[in-house]
Amino acid sequence: MEFFRKTLDPVFALAAIAILDIFLFLLLGAWTVGGGETMMTGLMAQAVLGDDLQRIPFWNIVFPPHADYWKIYISLGMFFGAFVGAVLSKEFYWRLPRRPSEWLMITIGGLLMGIGIRMAYICNVSTFFGLIPEMNLGGYLAISGILAGAWVGSLIYKKILEG
Amino acid sequence: MTPVVECLVAFLFGSVVGLLMQRSRFCNTAALRDAIMFKTYRNTKAMLMAMMILTVGFTGFMSLGGGHPMQFDVGLNTFAGLFLFGIGMVLAGACTVSTWVKTGEGNLGALWALLFTFVGMFLFSLAWSWNWWPPAPQTMTGEPNLPALQLGFANARTLQDKLGVPAIVFGLVQFAVLLAIYRAILRRERAQQAKHEQHQQETAGQQA
Repeated sequence: MEFFRKTLDPVFALAAIAILDIFLFLLLGAWTVGGGETMMTGLMAQAVLGDDLQRIPFWNIVFPPHADYWKIYISLGMFFGAFVGAVLSKEFYWRLPRRPSEWLMITIGGLLMGIGIRMAYICNVSTFFGLIPEMNLGGYLAISGILAGAWVGSLIYKKILEG
Repeated sequence: MTPVVECLVAFLFGSVVGLLMQRSRFCNTAALRDAIMFKTYRNTKAMLMAMMILTVGFTGFMSLGGGHPMQFDVGLNTFAGLFLFGIGMVLAGACTVSTWVKTGEGNLGALWALLFTFVGMFLFSLAWSWNWWPPAPQTMTGEPNLPALQLGFANARTLQDKLGVPAIVFGLVQFAVLLAIYRAILRRERAQQAKHEQHQQETAGQQA
């Protein structure tokens, strides 16, 4: 099938996603990822710690772990859809960062993303495809933050690449 | 809708998004990073296109009282959190979406980033349980709360209620701003292309 042979124009792909996101907004709420990931964190922590998790107030008050939280399944769906797309277009293969500096950057980057999402109560997806289109005040605060962060991140990234 | 149906709808939505992302190589991180570092806008244009469609769609339905807009107070934590996130996504080379999509393609680095996102979230849950900031959703009032560095809640719908102007009017203003940015990028790309062609002609001339 042509769809799995040629790279799709991202402008077209994102226009299609935006239209689907409008339907999701009407049914449940705008596309988001961070909330589902937080719930997964809670569920994993519960699996490891059991009832001890109750001693950390965050998981009682802000995010009591529930497996039937719809936002979790957006993320699992994205993983599944990408896997199917990669297999059908013969683009699935194991990839591994080679240099130790890459592993270090990914580790720190992942940590900062997790901390940032929880501090802000939102992720980048909610910023661009949820809060800004809803014209939420938080969207403008978040976009200023992420642009400043991406700029600082780019400076660090350049330094590491050149150094 | 029962929770099971909600989860099914969400999974279906996610699957289509994952497929389209994988086939288009769209990346939110690249949309910002490439524009900043390399002055290339392939992903930035796609992001703006989605934002334009969504702005009109969301504010349109919000004018009629429809949809499920997010409802929580925002403040300094919103800026600071996304600032940290912005650094993190450039270092990790992936954002929340592309970590899932790239993991689906077999990228173990993306899976590693995802695992540490979970670790980061857990670490923040410990910090939150110690200093209780930013305020829990239950204590949010929608009004500014300056001691907690919170500005409250406002969106196109609250503007409509306060000013009596339909939300879509504000949406169309935002649409016009996004469109102006989109067109500025197209102009810039044309200028880059012209420069590139001129350079090629010059080098061809030198060789001849």
